[in-house]
Amino acid sequence: MLTQRRFVIGAALIGAAVSYLVYGGIRTTSMYYFELGEFLAQRDAHVGEALRVKGWVRHGSMRWDARTSELAFELARQDDSEPVPVAYRGILPDMFSEGREVVVEGRYQDGALTARQIMTSCPSKYEPAKAPS
Amino acid sequence: MPEIGRLAVCLALLFAAYSVVTSILGGVRRRPDFVRSGEHAAFAVAGLVVVAAAILLRALLQHDFTLEYVAAYSSSSLPTQYTVAALWGGQKGSLLFWAFMLSLFTAIVQIQNRDRNRALMPYVTATLMTIAFFFLALLTFVTDPFERLPVAAREGADLNPLLQNYWMMLHPPSLYTGYVSASVPFAFGIAALASGRLGDQWIRSVRRWALFSWSFLTLGNLLGARWAYEVLGWGGYWAWDPVENAAFMPWLVSTAYLHSVMIQEKKDMLRVWNLVLVLLTFALTIFGTFLTRSGVISSVHSFTQSGLGPFFIGFLLFVLVVSGGLLVYRLPDLRTPATIESFFSREAAFLFNNLILVGIAFAVFWGTVFPVLSEWVRGVKITVGPPFFNRVNAPLGLVLLFFTGVGPVIAWRRASPRNLRRAFTGPVLTALAAAVALGVAGVPPGYAYLTFVLGCFALGTVGQEFWRGVRARQAMLHESAPRALSRLVGKNRRRYGGYVIHVGVVSAFVAIAASTAFRIEVTQPLKRGEEMQVGKFRLRYERITTAEDAHLSRLAAEVSVWRDGRQIATLAPEKRFYKKPQQPTTEVAMRSTLTEDLYVVLGSYDRDSDLATIQAFVNPLVSWLWLGGIFMACGTIITMWPAAAERRATAFALGGARVPAE
Repeated sequence: MLTQRRFVIGAALIGAAVSYLVYGGIRTTSMYYFELGEFLAQRDAHVGEALRVKGWVRHGSMRWDARTSELAFELARQDDSEPVPVAYRGILPDMFSEGREVVVEGRYQDGALTARQIMTSCPSKYEPAKAPS
Repeated sequence: MPEIGRLAVCLALLFAAYSVVTSILGGVRRRPDFVRSGEHAAFAVAGLVVVAAAILLRALLQHDFTLEYVAAYSSSSLPTQYTVAALWGGQKGSLLFWAFMLSLFTAIVQIQNRDRNRALMPYVTATLMTIAFFFLALLTFVTDPFERLPVAAREGADLNPLLQNYWMMLHPPSLYTGYVSASVPFAFGIAALASGRLGDQWIRSVRRWALFSWSFLTLGNLLGARWAYEVLGWGGYWAWDPVENAAFMPWLVSTAYLHSVMIQEKKDMLRVWNLVLVLLTFALTIFGTFLTRSGVISSVHSFTQSGLGPFFIGFLLFVLVVSGGLLVYRLPDLRTPATIESFFSREAAFLFNNLILVGIAFAVFWGTVFPVLSEWVRGVKITVGPPFFNRVNAPLGLVLLFFTGVGPVIAWRRASPRNLRRAFTGPVLTALAAAVALGVAGVPPGYAYLTFVLGCFALGTVGQEFWRGVRARQAMLHESAPRALSRLVGKNRRRYGGYVIHVGVVSAFVAIAASTAFRIEVTQPLKRGEEMQVGKFRLRYERITTAEDAHLSRLAAEVSVWRDGRQIATLAPEKRFYKKPQQPTTEVAMRSTLTEDLYVVLGSYDRDSDLATIQAFVNPLVSWLWLGGIFMACGTIITMWPAAAERRATAFALGGARVPAE
């Protein structure tokens, strides 16, 4: 029985280690995910934190410098209102274009987002809307 | 024609329902005629679903754009092989494909067990047909693959260009095969619980099925990784995306089961645990489908989002409640007197390996659902990304790798100091030698270093086993070394097949560690003739070329690769512009060797300035991951290959009816 109890303790230790790793992992690596509206409402509370914001690329705001791989655009609501400037440097995602829904991962500082990564969600047209009958 | 497909699906649904009811009645009332009737209905389901799948495939191949599915996922200019792949490229098709595989596997199970496991079979049939019923009901009432468009489309919208890839031909079918065949062990587990025959008969009956499912999950995951590596163009093969996690979790639990089941076979322990693992594996396959189909958790490459989520969650709850209920009901009968005697025993090593595997599955699960949970509980969505998964899983993975080395050679019950010395002196010395050699070679201390050292330890145990086995045969039977080796493996397929799989696992571990820790990435805009340095390679952008056909147009940058002043390759990374869903995609160009992959992406091209932005990665040892997959596949084949006695028995059973025994 003594060994049996030791096994329970051993298993509990493994469980505790996994829980600790998960807990610590989430504490140090998690980031907020905001829709643009939520972000606008509370952006001042999250200055300098890593976060993700989902919004739309404002029409007419995209500037891409091929020489430096620098991208500047404005993240806005779908109707192009309430824009937030975004700066990014790197490869342009294939699906990136104006009017497209994107998720920006980066930090918010001095009224602008500095993106580390830009994710484009797949366009919904692969589940085509039903044709009106 | 499509109407016949629809009719076949509806009829299959009725037959499945009939099969469930009669099988359960036959099981409870002990009526063999009912049981047989339920099995015949299951055959009918298989036949009908095959017809339905064939009709959908025919509609795709004939470009019948009156069908909504055909118009949505193919086009007349889509190459034939991808037209076939469109069968599982969209949601409706993939559900039909699932039902197709499930009914086929059910039929095989029926044939295998015509004269075996008669007490279990009613519940096996009922379980499998309940699952089939769920999928057929979705196909009948919710998403009909044979739905006609009000007006026939002139042309199809085409398959998502990202899916028009060689690996996408192979990845979904193998993953589905793994997913769906996990239903068979599940069904036997449920049958054991329902019938009360809780010994290890059910476990022996599903050994091959569990291994089959595991191997296709492995293959599916690796092919998916390969696809992501070639198609997504971000330089890696695994992003801890929810969809990837969905396929990874059942694999982890299934791996745990394959190990713990050996303890039950040998020592009749862990009965409850094994049942839990089998039930959990199946539940995770349904959960995985839920993740991919529901859009509840946003995935960067989720191709399908739909309203099927609630149905899958409902079915998942049903599965959990029924199997959990049965398990609790039988709990008193599942107790066994045997206990683990010592920490230094194979039982203990397997148990800890199990806990780690399930722990990793738990961590992956938690990270995957955390955004949803945090939104429910705290009202804010909090996401975790690859840093979370890497941070949590790297230490757990190392412990697992350690147990990969310990498990095969430590003694059952209680290892004596002598046994420990005999088993581990060689592997530990190997690991120490590797540690020194790697240190001298300048590998910096860290996870990668530890992975290499522990990998050598695990390889050391496998190598020692082969060596000793061959030597023993040579000494006793005076066989030549190759003959001794083939006899050794042939007579103990399960054991040595398992070792070969372990070699594959170590290879994969090494690949993952090296390519994560030592990868180099450089992005640079280049004018024609300009060069960039990536690690030891020098890349020169030579020219841009264009090509166009009806399906797509391409823009390729010709890049010459130089090392030590010598040109060693020319690569042509592309941007493609698909015409029907107007969408650009990235075609990676690679120079792959055993030591490293040079992975080159055309980031962007500016026509006015003739400026190509080239992104290049040097990913060390990535080939070892695919190599590991090949080892795992070979190991599985060795393990599953029927032994001579079984082959004779099968031949007799098949021919026995007609050919009189000599």
